[in-house]
Order: sequence, then C-alpha cells, then structure tokens
Amino acid sequence: MGEEVNLMEICEKAVKLASGFGVDEVEVYFSRSMAVRVEVERNQIVKADRFCDEGFGVRVIYNRSIGFSYTNHTNLKSLEETVSRAVKVAKAGKPDKDRKGFPAPSKLPEVKNTYDKRVAETSLEDAVEITSRMLNSALNFDKRVLAFEGLTVAGESLKILVNSNGVSYTDKGTGIGCLLSTLAKDKGETTPTCFEFEHERTYKINPEKVGVEAAKQAILSLNAKTLETGFYEVIFSPHALESLLYYTLVNALKADNVQRGKSKLKGRLGEKIASENLTIVDDGLLDGGLNTWRFDDEGTVSKKTVLVEKGILKGFLYDKYTADKDFVESTGNAQRTTIPPYSSTPHIEPTNFTILPGKNTLEKMFEETVKGIYVLHLQGAHSSNPESGEFSVVATPAWMVEKGGLAYPLKGVMLTGVIYDVLENVVEVADNPRKVGFLVAPPVKVAKVRVVGK
Amino acid sequence: MDDLLLEAVKLGEKLGVEFVELRCEESLRTSITTKDGGVEVVREGFEKGVNVRVLARGAWGVVSTSKTDRQSVFRAVEDAYRLALALSQKVKEKVKLAEVKQVKDKVTLKPKKDPRNIPIEQKIGDILGVDKTVFSLNPQTKSCTIDYLDVFQKEFYVNSEGANVEQNKIYVWFRVYATATEADVFASAGEEFGSTSGYDVFDENPPEKVGVEIARRLGEQLKAKTPKGGVFPAVLGSNVVGVFVHEAFGHLAEADLTLSGSVVLDKLGKKIASDVVTIFDDGTVEGAFGSFMYDDEGVKTQKTLLVKDGFIVGLMHNRETAKKFNSQPTGNARAENFRYTPIIRMRNTYLEPRDHRFEELLEPIKFGYYLKTFRGGQANLDGTFHVGVQEAYEIVKGEVGEPVRNMSISGNTLETLMKVEAVGKDFRLWPGRCGKGQLAFVCDGGPSIRVGEVRVGGRG
Repeated sequence: MGEEVNLMEICEKAVKLASGFGVDEVEVYFSRSMAVRVEVERNQIVKADRFCDEGFGVRVIYNRSIGFSYTNHTNLKSLEETVSRAVKVAKAGKPDKDRKGFPAPSKLPEVKNTYDKRVAETSLEDAVEITSRMLNSALNFDKRVLAFEGLTVAGESLKILVNSNGVSYTDKGTGIGCLLSTLAKDKGETTPTCFEFEHERTYKINPEKVGVEAAKQAILSLNAKTLETGFYEVIFSPHALESLLYYTLVNALKADNVQRGKSKLKGRLGEKIASENLTIVDDGLLDGGLNTWRFDDEGTVSKKTVLVEKGILKGFLYDKYTADKDFVESTGNAQRTTIPPYSSTPHIEPTNFTILPGKNTLEKMFEETVKGIYVLHLQGAHSSNPESGEFSVVATPAWMVEKGGLAYPLKGVMLTGVIYDVLENVVEVADNPRKVGFLVAPPVKVAKVRVVGK
Repeated sequence: MDDLLLEAVKLGEKLGVEFVELRCEESLRTSITTKDGGVEVVREGFEKGVNVRVLARGAWGVVSTSKTDRQSVFRAVEDAYRLALALSQKVKEKVKLAEVKQVKDKVTLKPKKDPRNIPIEQKIGDILGVDKTVFSLNPQTKSCTIDYLDVFQKEFYVNSEGANVEQNKIYVWFRVYATATEADVFASAGEEFGSTSGYDVFDENPPEKVGVEIARRLGEQLKAKTPKGGVFPAVLGSNVVGVFVHEAFGHLAEADLTLSGSVVLDKLGKKIASDVVTIFDDGTVEGAFGSFMYDDEGVKTQKTLLVKDGFIVGLMHNRETAKKFNSQPTGNARAENFRYTPIIRMRNTYLEPRDHRFEELLEPIKFGYYLKTFRGGQANLDGTFHVGVQEAYEIVKGEVGEPVRNMSISGNTLETLMKVEAVGKDFRLWPGRCGKGQLAFVCDGGPSIRVGEVRVGGRG
C-alpha cells in the first residue's frame, strides 16, 4: 500500500504543477501491468516471458482544447516534462465548445472478486504447470490434433487517476487465463483453426477442460460438408456473438456514434429494436467481470446501465464528453484500450456487455432445432458496416444441427444480413452465460438467417 | 547505450546462454484525432525500453522493461536466463537458429521532410483540409474521422554472435474514415496512407485530392444497390488484390504459420496458382510503409520471391523457422516495440504486374463484379478467406456498370489463385497496418486481375 500512496502523491504533485501552467483542468493517470506468460508453439512449450509496464498519461484542458502526453519513465522529472508537453500540444489544438471538463469526485462503489492474491503471485512454475496440463489434455485427446499455439498469462494491474476537480482514485485487479488454438489434420484435410480459453479475475481456471474442448472442436470439424443457400435457424456461440455484436450493435450504442449520425439507433430510445427475448445491460460492477473496475479510465465511478430491456432500447454508452453534450450522466464507459493503457486517451467501450440468460439449456435448444446451424466462430466480422449494421461473414467452424445434436461440420458457409433483423429474430437465449472479452452471454438462437452456401 | 548493451551480452555469455540478444529503443510519437472538423485531441508521447531474449538449453526466456539503467538491464538478462532454464525441462524439440551473417552498421535518417520540423498547427491544418473537402463536396456526409500518427524511433540491436546495429526510423501515417447517409442508406469510405520517408506523404497525397476521392466513394455508395449472393466472375482492383495477397495468401506463407499447419505446408515447390501469378514480399521498396534496412533479429531485409509463375518457391522466415526448413532467414522478423519479441511479419507484399489493360480484364465477363476497394480481410490456416468490400460495381457485358454496396467475397485461397485468368499492368502499393498479436506497418498491392469465380455474400 505504501507504494500506491507514494505514486498517488506523485500524481497529485503533477496535477498541481500543470495547474501552474495556466491550464483549465488537469488529469494524471498511472497504470502498471505485471505478468508472467508461457507460450506454446506447435505442441510444445517454447517461450516464457515476464514484463512490467508502467507509465503516466497526462491530459490537460486549455481553452476547451485537450492535450495529452505520456511517458514510461516514472520519475518526477520525466513526469514534469510530460506535463509541459501536454500543455504545449493542448495550446496547438482547437477549442471545442462542447468540452465541459473532467469528472467531479463521487462515492466509489465496491466491486467483488476482481483481485486475487494467488493470481498476483502466480510463479513461472505455476504457469508452466497450467500450460502443460492444458496442452497434454489436448494432445492425449486425439493423435490428429495439432495444438499450434497457446498461452497462459497471469498478472496484476494497478490504476491511479487524479484530476484537478478533486478526483483521487486507485484500484487494482488481477487476471489469469489460458488459451489453446488447435486444428486437426486427417487424410489430406486440414480443419479450420479452433480455439478454447478460460479467462478469470480469480484463480479458478480449468486447463484440462480448455485442452479437451479445443481438441474436441478440431476433431468435430473433420469431414466438413457444404450446404445449400437459404434461410436457416442459427445458434450463435458466445464467441460468435462477441465478434458479430462488437462491429455492429455495440458501435451503434456508443453515444459518440449516435451523436454523429453514425448509428441507426439515433432517436429510437423507448422503441422496440429487438425481440422481447433480449435484455442487455452494460454492467461495470459485475462480480468477477473481466472489465470490472471501481472507476472508468477518466474517473467516472462504475455503474450498471440498461441498454435494451425486453427488446426496447433504453440507453446508450457514454463517456463524460458525450454525456455533457446530451445533458445526461456519464455511464462510466471511458476506457483506455491500448497496450499499455497509459499511452493513450480514453474512448467509449462497453465494460461487461451482458445478455441476460434465458431458461433453456443449450442441449434443449439443439433438441428443438429442426434444421439449423451452430456457429462457434465467425471470420471477417470486422468488415461489417458499423453504421448500417449490415454484415457478411464466414461461419467457421460451424455444424449442422439435426435430431437434437451436432450432425456434421460445415464448410464454405457465409452468413449475411443486418444486425437489427438478427436482434428482431432472437427466438431464445440459453441459460449458460460465459465471459468472452467484453461480452457476457449464453448461446443465442436466431430464426431465419440468410446463409450463402454452395 | 551501446556499451551497456555489449556488457549485458557479456554477462549473458558468462551465465552460459547459447544465445542472447538485446533490443533497446526509444521513440517519440505524435498523434492527432479530428472528428467532423474539430480537433478531438493532440497527443505526444515518449517511451524507452529494452527487450532481452535468451536462448538456454533450447528454450526461450524473455524479459522486457522500461528501465534502461545498468542495474535493471543486467537483472533483465539474469531473469531471462532463469526463465529459459526453468522452461528447458519441458522442451522436447530444442530451439535452434539458422546461421546468419552478423552485421555492424548504423542506419541514419534521410527524410525528405522530417515530421519533427513540421509544427503541430500545420499537421492539424493538413488533416482538416481532407475533412473540409469531404464535407463540402458531399452534402450527405455525416461524419469524418481522421487519425494521424508520426513516430521517430531510435533502435539498437546487439547479440552474442557479434551483431551491432543502430537504426533510426520515421513513420508517418494517417487514416480517413467518413460516413454519409441518405434516406435509409448508410455509406462509408476509408483509406490509409503511410510512408517511411517522412512528411512528404502529404505531397504524394494532397489533402484535397484525398478528400475528393473519399467524397466520390461516398457518393457512389449512396446510389448503390445490394449484390446478389452466389458465385460470379470478378475483376479485383489493385487495392483488393493487395488485401487478398496479404491476408489470403501471405499469412499462409509466413513460415511459423506454415509450420502450424497452413495449407501450403504440403505444397512447397508445387503449383498452387495459375501461370500468371508471381508474388513477392519486399522490404526494399524505397520509402514504402513496410520497408526497413534490418529486421529485429539484425538480419538484412530483402526482396523475397514467394510464388513464381504459379509455383510456391519461398516462405517468409525468421532464424528459427529458417533452421527448421533448412533455408535462409529472409529478414521478416519484426517486433511492434520493445514489449514484444520478434515474430514473422510481412513487409510490402504484392502481386507482380503483367501486360493486360484494364479493359481487357473486363471484356470477357457477361455478368460479374468489379471489386475496387476493400473494407477488411481475414483468412484461416485452412485456406478460407474473407474480404469485405467498400466499393464495388457490377460488370455487365464487359463494362463497369452500377455501383454495389456492402458486399464481401469469400472462398478458398488456393482455388482462387488457380482461377486467376489475367493480370493487369496498373500497379500500386497500399499502406496499412497488420495485426498478428502485434501491430506491424506494411504495404500490400498489385495490379488489377480477373478471377474466374468468387463467392459473393449478398442479400439480393
């Protein structure tokens, strides 16, 4: 704790220093990430690395213009230089009449299961052990499996944010994860790449399960068949949803896109935009959530925001700037997503974008599917049109669902459509949510998706 | 810095490493984001750090740190050695490196225009010049986001085999992304520009000219119809050929991915494309965004022939894969910055032009598509590719017809390469950034080509 207090004092000193340059507001952000990482390449563990990455990012507002500078040299002298660079570039910018300022202090919420001492103290030996267990489970599953890459990472992060409005926050968190990418080769056929992972804030990962699942996916992808073009029921896995939703719906829910006419959801608050089976909240306070912190990356306290309730559009994702423009409160969605976080300015991103679960199990969902497709991963989702929500993506791996289960793997399958039609056609949400990046969701079944095949 | 790094190498040798290398770099980065005529933020950052990679008993140990004082650098070497030792018990097949000529050299900058001498106000002015043109030429424009970045970087590379290279680099990059709406139609257009020769990127791409092009594309898309889904003949423009060559083929020929089971592994030396297909990955194109003198293993860059007249004759290597294939390193080992270890990355990857005029490419197509500009691309090791297209047109009776929007193509890379019927002579390179766990600045390109058939995703 002693060091955190010391770092916070340095940040506070820098804020005072910048105030002396005649700027209107100042913010000093510090982040530190420390981790140990073990990597797999082609069925064996080959590389271990350890890093510590820390630095300061300084934002100043001068005449409604923002300047930013950062450094990874964490002494007071470098920080002073960084402050003067931020002031210099702010003066070169142009005033923005909508720029109101940085957040004011508020009561910090409590969050649960975001820090685990055991994760922070993961040794190289622990990480090697986890990786071996994962790798061996996959290789013992079937000889045709190639575990072409994988990794285990465990580490902790510290964030400090101080601004000239009196905000002075600190929070730390841990994360541990393991991932294995596989493919299977048999009789001249190569499957598409498959992968499985677990990522948690506390020490509760199951490397054997990850290994077996990754191997099983690859084996189940052998002997893929094509299918006829037409409309099918599609069950999207949480992984597939993560990529599809990010480039379409999530973009449309970001307030800056709404304000700039880049979202089809503009002006539709209170209207039905999705099936009544769909309720989505952005939950910055989720217990053990991968993106759960006590405050966002510009000092707004974290909160839970209802976005879609039983199909009705209820809200958007805001940072302080866009919230001021709409005369509402920030939803705490300002994030610094670059590596490392201190090296860039915050922008709007979801925290834990949560689709509330339904009642049926995935198995039951399969049973009730007459002629459908189960899509595990999507390729090319980033080429969707984020403004219109139109997408055209490759589903791989994907399986035909018949007689209550996965009948056979599919190849050469493209899904095309508009995200708003997909949302409208959600017939069921399964009961088993999982955390995949920004998303927390169970598999989701959609009626009538256009599939381009042979 | 040099002396400290050499001492650190000696320390590694004393510890008993098989191989040790240190990469030390410092960089100054200036970036600007503008949105709809306003400046969102101006940024200027400074960072410095060192990456130590040790090979001991056949395993890699790596430590990166921002602390470049003597004590920290020495500790990093010791820690990296310890990591490698701890891992070595698990290594079944020991890592070995191909031999390479070790170089001592200093690469100085010869920028045509040094971005550090350009005032921020002028950079903002140039960027906003693009914005202003787009909004004034196309009244339906809703948004225009421009990101600008320039990087000045000093890098030192030393290793225990005697390499000692200092390189000074400059990158200047900007990206324009604009959207327009009319009635219920949403259109978007974007493009990236980049150079390693300096701020002259704006001389080659004057703001107004860039703005005119973006506005034109927005206008075309607003009038466009949605494509029919199915399999059609197509002409791919230089920009789409570039992304195809990079995403669909290039990644398969990165030797680490080839070894990981990419479909070209069983095809080395064999015919994988039609006779008219020749592909290079070239780090020597002067001023191009993917060019540099030495890679991050100290290996000199080169022009690497990957496909010659349809036969796959080469792969892109680092020292480790070159050893495995009993081949030579090609200078493709690149790291995004000191936080990362080098992996195999492309440089400027392109299809070699031939002699067809554009009209000759279109001529035999009764109905098909002309895919002019891409939106994004992705491929899988099994050879499935997907390219999203921002600008496309119908081809009707051998002529370019009406615009089509939001289309994408997919298929099998090798099957598609076999179906390349004719290659044009209108060559161009397109700067971009490639992600493979790390970011790399690259170019891709080629001339326009005719392909017998591709699968088009559409809603018609």
